Amino acid sequence: MKQIFVKPEKCMGCRSCEIGCAVQHSKDKNLFSAVMQSPPPMKRLFLEATEEIMMPVLCRHCEDAPCLNACISGCLYRDENGLVRRRKERCIGCWTCVMVCPFGVITRDGEKHIAVKCDGCHKLDMPACVSSCPTGALVLVDIDEFQQEKRHRLVLTGTEREE
Amino acid sequence: MRHIIIGGGIAGISASRAIRGRDKDAEITMISGEKAKAYYRPMIPYLIEKEGMDINFLEDPVEKYGIGVVYEKAAGVDAKSKEVILSSGERLNFDKLLIATGSSPVIPDIRGLGGKGVFTLRTMEDALGIREYCRGREDAVVLGGGLVGIKAAISLKHSGLNVTIIEKLEEILDQRLDKRGSRIISKVLLNGDIGVLTGDTIEEVIRKRDMVEAVRLSSGKVIKADIVIVAAGVRPDVDVLKNSGIKTGNGVLINEYLQTCMPDIYAAGDVVEYRDLITGMLSINALWTNAEEMGRLAGKNMTGENIRYSGFLSVMNATDISGIPVIAVGIIDPDTEGYEVITDDRIDSYRKLVFRDDFLVGIIFIGDLTNAGIYTNLIKNKIPVGRLKEEAIKGNLGYINFIRKAPFQTITV
Repeated sequence: MKQIFVKPEKCMGCRSCEIGCAVQHSKDKNLFSAVMQSPPPMKRLFLEATEEIMMPVLCRHCEDAPCLNACISGCLYRDENGLVRRRKERCIGCWTCVMVCPFGVITRDGEKHIAVKCDGCHKLDMPACVSSCPTGALVLVDIDEFQQEKRHRLVLTGTEREE
Repeated sequence: MRHIIIGGGIAGISASRAIRGRDKDAEITMISGEKAKAYYRPMIPYLIEKEGMDINFLEDPVEKYGIGVVYEKAAGVDAKSKEVILSSGERLNFDKLLIATGSSPVIPDIRGLGGKGVFTLRTMEDALGIREYCRGREDAVVLGGGLVGIKAAISLKHSGLNVTIIEKLEEILDQRLDKRGSRIISKVLLNGDIGVLTGDTIEEVIRKRDMVEAVRLSSGKVIKADIVIVAAGVRPDVDVLKNSGIKTGNGVLINEYLQTCMPDIYAAGDVVEYRDLITGMLSINALWTNAEEMGRLAGKNMTGENIRYSGFLSVMNATDISGIPVIAVGIIDPDTEGYEVITDDRIDSYRKLVFRDDFLVGIIFIGDLTNAGIYTNLIKNKIPVGRLKEEAIKGNLGYINFIRKAPFQTITV
């Protein structure tokens, strides 16, 4: 299974991921028409920063997902690839998922009156946030490969972390 | 293993899911007094206004988890012989039993309330009954200004009726919001042309022949009504436990493993009386999210796990009243000392944070729900706020605040 990994040490806070995400979730999936769209398309991940650290915060598609457990309308479901997704037509905008998401990555679309969250760009090979990240702070990795690589690096360099 | 679950609501369903997840050979029997297929109960108010709306589970849990269903009311539990007695007199034996009977509406003692044109709103059948009865009628009165009452009122309004909510207490949404919050919602309702009368209650339902004509209030006011919805709260459905030896207070009493005082008998959902996570007081609640969690944990424990249940939050509501989003969690209106309350009251939003010592214990967010889940998590998991307090007050709290730069790890070989 592949997952999006965040490497805060590589993030420079350029917000390209946010733009990439919003564009991918716009009508024409094109930057120029996306900026003209009204209301503007919504991003599903959020660049957050403290003095210490900076990184995009995004949906983990949790194994025991609080949003999925709490959804009262049958809108949220887990798809065949393990992504927590919406059946938009079922969302009534009760905001229970917003209340329980411990990452704060579910937001409200006030116009359509539905909850908005990351869909893992299930139609794409590479999620938009990952492909728009210029520094490699967001990467799509196969979990097994990731573990392997980490072990490899540890043996070679004595540290798990990338320099 | 033979598992019996009394009740077909979400506590029973999530327990079945958990049982099936851990034991694919378990025999699961659900005893349900409601004939309907599994549905999302919080959705029933929408059935009043939206014809043909689908509120069933997309995948019927009965099929998905291989549950045998008995559409009958359970009449009693024999804890010693480990049998459930059905209303037909039939006995079903079990290895593990889950009491998930839920709760039923409180019907106040009001003259003229019994009979045609008066409804509660608890089941799918209730909602469809209201929908049917509303056709061609003009005036509705909702008794009770809680969440169910308000949802019902909005749905009736959308169906074209004149609606008045009557609340006995000083404010609507008592215990769900503080005074300021209740006022905001009252205003929203009034703007939506829904009448709100507080500090008053129905003294008598006036009927002409069989039909509801009007209601007379304690204040003497008479309000025209064709239909009356009783939404005066719910109480745990413990009738089935009479003479069973299973201890009940306001609801079924359980230990931290969701077991009742009798071996192999568990309880989950609205029927349970347990400690509130934040107040520490024995409480009952009727919230879907809590029932789902309790059912899930009970199901796991019924199949051999030993997971501790730390308790629920009696107040943990998210809702949307005519486009105004509202979240309230934990202790939202403390009336004793020892709490620090911070409010931010603006034209388009209201925020309230309640702290006790170094902990956030309650929030109300109206209008702006940004990162509400982060705050809920702080409350629910009792995470000390420490240096984050200021960020929380400013509304700047994000997940990033909980991440520290990992120390550089090196290993010398």
